[in-house]
Amino acid sequence: MRPTLRRRAIRALAACALALSVLLPGVGPAGAAGPLILRAGTDQDLQVLNPFNSVVVADFEVFTLNYDLLVNFGPDIEPVPGFAESWTQSADGLTWTFKIRPGMKWSDGQPATSEDARWTYQTILDGVASERGYLGEGYLEGYLTDSGVKTVKAPDPTTLTVTTEFATPLLLQAYVPILPKHIWSKYSLAQIGDPKVTGFFKNEPPIVGTGPYQVVEWKPGEFIRFARNKNYWGTQGAADEVIIQHFASGDTMVQALKTGEIDYVRGVLADQFNALKNEPNIATVAGIANGYTELSFNTGGKKKGYGGSTTALSDVAFRDALGYAIDNQKLVDTTLGGYGTPGSTIIPPFHTRWHVEPDKPRKFDIEEAKRRLDAAGYKLDANGKRLDKDNKVINLRLTWPDSEAENATNAQFIVEWFGQLGITVTAAVTEEGKLIDDVTGPPEGPADYDIYMWGWVGDPDPTSLLKFFQTSEIGSSSDSYYSNPHYDDLFKQQRAESDPAKRKTILAEMQNLVYDEAPYHILYYDAELHAYRTDKFAGWTNQPTQGGTPLFGYGSRGYTLLTDAAAVPSAPPSAAASSDTGSASGAPGASAPASTTPGSNASNSSLPLILGSIALVIIVAVGLVVMRGRRRTVEEE
Amino acid sequence: MKVGYLGRRLASAAVTIVLIAIINFILFRAMPGSPERVLLHGTPNVTPQILQQTRERWGLDKPVFPDQFVAYVGSTIRGDLGFSFLARGQTVSEVLAQRIWPTVILFGLGEMLAIVLGLALGAYSGWRRGGAVDYVGNGISLILYSTPYFLLGMAFLLLFATTLHWFPTFGMLQAGAQYPGLWERFLDFLGHLVLPLATVAFGLVGQYAIVMRSSIVETLSEDYVTTARAMGLRDGRVLRRHALPNALLPTVSLVAINLGYVVAGAITVEVVFNWPGLGTLAVEALTARDYPVLQGVFLLLGVSVVIANLIADLVYGALDPRVRT
Repeated sequence: MRPTLRRRAIRALAACALALSVLLPGVGPAGAAGPLILRAGTDQDLQVLNPFNSVVVADFEVFTLNYDLLVNFGPDIEPVPGFAESWTQSADGLTWTFKIRPGMKWSDGQPATSEDARWTYQTILDGVASERGYLGEGYLEGYLTDSGVKTVKAPDPTTLTVTTEFATPLLLQAYVPILPKHIWSKYSLAQIGDPKVTGFFKNEPPIVGTGPYQVVEWKPGEFIRFARNKNYWGTQGAADEVIIQHFASGDTMVQALKTGEIDYVRGVLADQFNALKNEPNIATVAGIANGYTELSFNTGGKKKGYGGSTTALSDVAFRDALGYAIDNQKLVDTTLGGYGTPGSTIIPPFHTRWHVEPDKPRKFDIEEAKRRLDAAGYKLDANGKRLDKDNKVINLRLTWPDSEAENATNAQFIVEWFGQLGITVTAAVTEEGKLIDDVTGPPEGPADYDIYMWGWVGDPDPTSLLKFFQTSEIGSSSDSYYSNPHYDDLFKQQRAESDPAKRKTILAEMQNLVYDEAPYHILYYDAELHAYRTDKFAGWTNQPTQGGTPLFGYGSRGYTLLTDAAAVPSAPPSAAASSDTGSASGAPGASAPASTTPGSNASNSSLPLILGSIALVIIVAVGLVVMRGRRRTVEEE
Repeated sequence: MKVGYLGRRLASAAVTIVLIAIINFILFRAMPGSPERVLLHGTPNVTPQILQQTRERWGLDKPVFPDQFVAYVGSTIRGDLGFSFLARGQTVSEVLAQRIWPTVILFGLGEMLAIVLGLALGAYSGWRRGGAVDYVGNGISLILYSTPYFLLGMAFLLLFATTLHWFPTFGMLQAGAQYPGLWERFLDFLGHLVLPLATVAFGLVGQYAIVMRSSIVETLSEDYVTTARAMGLRDGRVLRRHALPNALLPTVSLVAINLGYVVAGAITVEVVFNWPGLGTLAVEALTARDYPVLQGVFLLLGVSVVIANLIADLVYGALDPRVRT
C-alpha cells in the first residue's frame, strides 16, 4: 500500500526526533585556553573613542584604561602618582611642578615625556581660547578652568610646570587623559573637537596610550576590546584582555553572568541583586553612588522673572517645614528596594573625606511640620487647606523627567505627605528636553515650576556638586535659583584651600548652610549595584574602600589589582610574569589548537551548532516533505 | 501582468514613501524640548553662547520651514542622513549600515521559516480537519500566536542558555573571539542565531498556521473543489493544484501586513538576545534621544514596509488574475 501523506509525515518527524535525541546529550562546556579575558557588562553604551567628545561614564571608563591621568586616583580617590611621579606646589600656591616618570613608553614604543602632557593641556587651553570656547563636548575644559590654569611648560623631558590664576588643589583631580603628541598633533583643533569636520580624528583602534590596557577592537553598540599594554609602567593585572560588553536588556546581562559568559555586571536592579546573592561563585557589592536624587524648590517663587505659583516657595521657613514631612528612609525602602542611603547634605557620603552630617538634622514628623508651618505664618483655611502669606491656597506642581521614571513612586509619597499638611500637590511627569527648558532660570528661561525631582552625578572632587548653588549660575546650571553671597564667598575659599583639614571646615559650613536654607531636599543617595564572579578572577578591590565598587570607579586601579582565581596561590600578578599569566594559570590544554571559544565558559561550539543546523534543515525538510508528499502521491497514480 | 497595474502600484508606493519622509521630518521637529538642549545633555555649565553655537553647528537656528525642511529633503535624496548625536563622528548612514544586516538575516530567515512551517502545518490541519494534527497544531498555534515575543525569547533563554547551557546567552558572535578560519566563525554565528531565530519563527508561525488552516477549510467547501473530487482527481492533486493557490491569497496579504508588526517585534527579540541589529539601535537611540539616527531608522523601516507591501501586491497580482484589472 502506497504510504499516505500522514505516514510520511510521521516518519519524517520520527527521524527528526531520533536525530535530535542522539545529538542532544553529550553537549558540555569545554573551557579552551588562550588569553585570560575579563568580560564586564554594562547597560550604557560607549559613544566615542575621542576623549574630547566623551560624555558618559562608559566613555570615561574606556579612556582611563587607555590613558594615564597626570595624577591618578588612589584607593580613596586621593591623588596618587599617574603620568607624574611626584609634584610640588610653590609657596604662593600659583605654580605646580610635576616630575614626570622617566623611561615611560607609549604602547607603540615611542618615549612618553612631559612634552606629551604639555601638549595635551595646551590643546585644551587653546580650545578655551578659541572662538567656540571649548573643544568637543566641553567636558574636559572644566577640569582646567576650575583650577585656573594659565600656562603649561615642559622645560625638560621629566618636568612639567603649570601656573594657575589662584591657589587650588583642584588641579590634582583633573580628569584629563594624557594623549600622545606624536599621534594627535597631526590634526588641527577643529579636527580634534568637531565630529562634522572632514578629517575628524575618531581615534580608532588600535589606540596608543600609556594606560594598562589599549583598545584593539570596537564594535559600536556591541562591545569594546582591550589588550594588555606591554609597556605599562605599573602593576599588570591578571587579565590579558578586557572586554566591555553592552547589553540592551538588564535581564539578559544578569543571565549571562549566571552562565559565566561575562564576569562582571554594572547596574543591576534591586530584585535581580537579591536573587544574585544566593548564587554560587557570584559576589554582590552595593556601593554608594557619587550623586543623589533631590526635591528642588523654585526659590524664586513669584518674583519677577520666575514662574512659581506661590510666594511661600521663597520662604526658608516654609521649605524647612516641608522637610519634616519627607521620610527619606521610606523612599529608599520603596523606590530603591532598600538599596541606597537616606539623603542629607549636598556632598554625598561617597566623598568620605568631605561629607558631613548636618548639625541640625530634620526628622520625619508630620506634626512637627504642621507646627512649623503654623509658626511661620501659614494658616489653614476653613477647608483644611494651607494658605500662603497672600491668603491664597497653596497648590504645588510636582514634576520629574521621563528619563527618571522611578520618581513616580516618590511622587506618590510626596503627594500623600504634603496632603496631610493641607498642601495639594499635582504630580505629572515631563519630557526631559522640555523640563530642562522649563527649569532654566532668568533671563535665559522661564523658571516655570514649583517643585521637581531630578538628580546630580558628581566628579572625584566635590566642587562640581557645589558649583550650581552660586548666584552666578542662575540662568545657567542653577535650577533652584539659590542666591546667598556668603555661600558664593565660601565656594571661592574652598576652591583655593590646599590644606584638607581647613577645606573640610569650609565644606562643612557650606553643607550645613544649604541644608538649613533648603533650596533642595536631598531625598536619597542612589546605590550602585554591581555583581561579579569569583571563580575566574580574584583580588576585587572596592574604590573607595568604603562604599565603592571594584570597576567603573575612577581610574584603572580595579583592573590592575585583579588576580587569576585559578592560579597557584604563590604566583604574583607582577609585571615580570605578565606574559605568562595566561597560560601558566593552570588552565588545561594551554596550547589548544583551533579554539573556537577561547577563554570562556560558554558551551563547546561544535556540537550544538551542528545540532542547530541539522534541526533547522530538518524543520525545513519536514515542511517541504509535507507539501511535496501530495505531488508524489498524485504522480504515482 | 499589465503594465498599467505595475505602474499604478509603483506610483502609489513612491507617493507613500514621500509622505513617510515628510511625516518623519515633522514628527521629530514637533517633539517637546529643544534639540540643542538634548545635544548638550550631560555637558556641565551650558552657557548661552554654547547653546547658540550648538544651534548653529547643527543647523537648528534656521527656521524650520522652509530652510530646515529643504535641507532635509535635499540631503535625504542624496542619501546623507546627517550625523549621529550619540555616536559622534559617525554619520547616520554608517550607523545604519553597521546594524542592518543582522536584522535582515534574523528576520528574513525567521519569516521564511515561519511561512514554510506555518503554511505546511495550516494546510495539513485544514485538509485533515478534526484530526490529531489539527487539534494539537491548532492549540499550539494559538498559544504561540498570543505569546509576546519577549516572553517567548526569555523562556528560550532561560531554558536553553542558562539552564541547559546549549546555546550562548547573547550577541551575534562571541565578543573578541579569534577564529582560526571562516568556518569556525560561521559555526559560532549559527550557534548564536539558533535561539533568536527560534523565537522569531515560533512567534510568527502561529498566525500563518491559523490563517492558512481557515483559508483551506473555506476553499475546500467551494464548488470547484467538489467538482474536482467528483471528477475523480486524487486528494493530493486537488489540494495542490486547485485549493492551495486560492487559499494562499489571504496568507500573502498577512505576510505583507505582518512586516510592520515584525518590526515592532524585532525590537523586543533583539533586546532580549542583545542581537546587534536595528531593534537595539532604535532602543539606544530612543533612550539617548539621538534624533538623526531615529529619523534614519524610521525612514528605513517605513520604506522597507512600503516596498514589502509593493512586492506582496505584485505577488498577489501574479497569483490572482482577478486583481489585475
